[in-house]
Amino acid sequence: MRAVAPVEVELRIPRSCEFVRVARKTAAALAHQLEFTIHDVADIELAVSEACTNAVEHVPGQECREILVRFSADATQLVMEVVDQGPGFDPAEAAEGAPTEEGLGGLGLLVIRSLMDDLEIKCDPETGTRVRMVKYRRRS
Amino acid sequence: MTDMGAAPLRVETRLAGEGTAVLSLAGEVDVSNTARVREAALQLLSGGTKKLVVDLSATEYMDSAGLGMLVGLLKRLKESGGAMGIAGARPRVNHLFEITGLNQILALYDDVAIALKEVGR
Repeated sequence: MRAVAPVEVELRIPRSCEFVRVARKTAAALAHQLEFTIHDVADIELAVSEACTNAVEHVPGQECREILVRFSADATQLVMEVVDQGPGFDPAEAAEGAPTEEGLGGLGLLVIRSLMDDLEIKCDPETGTRVRMVKYRRRS
Repeated sequence: MTDMGAAPLRVETRLAGEGTAVLSLAGEVDVSNTARVREAALQLLSGGTKKLVVDLSATEYMDSAGLGMLVGLLKRLKESGGAMGIAGARPRVNHLFEITGLNQILALYDDVAIALKEVGR
């Protein structure tokens, strides 16, 4: 893997399910550009999709109209942040329990936790919800 | 058929015997098009389908919205005494089933022919 200069990319998408694909395709293209493995590219695409889907589906009302997706990469990792202005949710509660036929639990968060090397969720009624995900580079 | 702005997905249904049908999903299944898939499946159910095989052999991408839709269909079918099988999922989608534990809930088969045989029992 060649040396990579720090890269920052920001994307603002309307809070609409049709635009989740735009975010995930951007994530996949960036990860590919940064020479992540094909498996890691797929993981990054799915994790960003889940975080954006969460912002689209679990923010009530119309007060939040857009989602900010921020990517920061250096030689060691890709950091992805998905930020919305919604009131947030309880990550511990949302992530509880494996899915069953009766309930899916926090399926999106479960997926993100499984695919990413690090996950941090901050909810603040004033500033909104920030989902921060990290994928480390694997040395080939 | 595709929706403007939604992820590209072809949804096809076919009857495969008395009370049995195949729902084929070719393309990407995400939050933008799961409602359309659910609607197609519910049309089959309201038409008398009790045993459903979901053909994922041409499904290139699926996220948790797709998983939720599948589990919802399974629940609905079981409530009415029916059954559902998933056929031909590609490695990427299978990986999603594994990391979420849904491979313990969904009946997964290598292809549609095997799924039809098993679900039809």
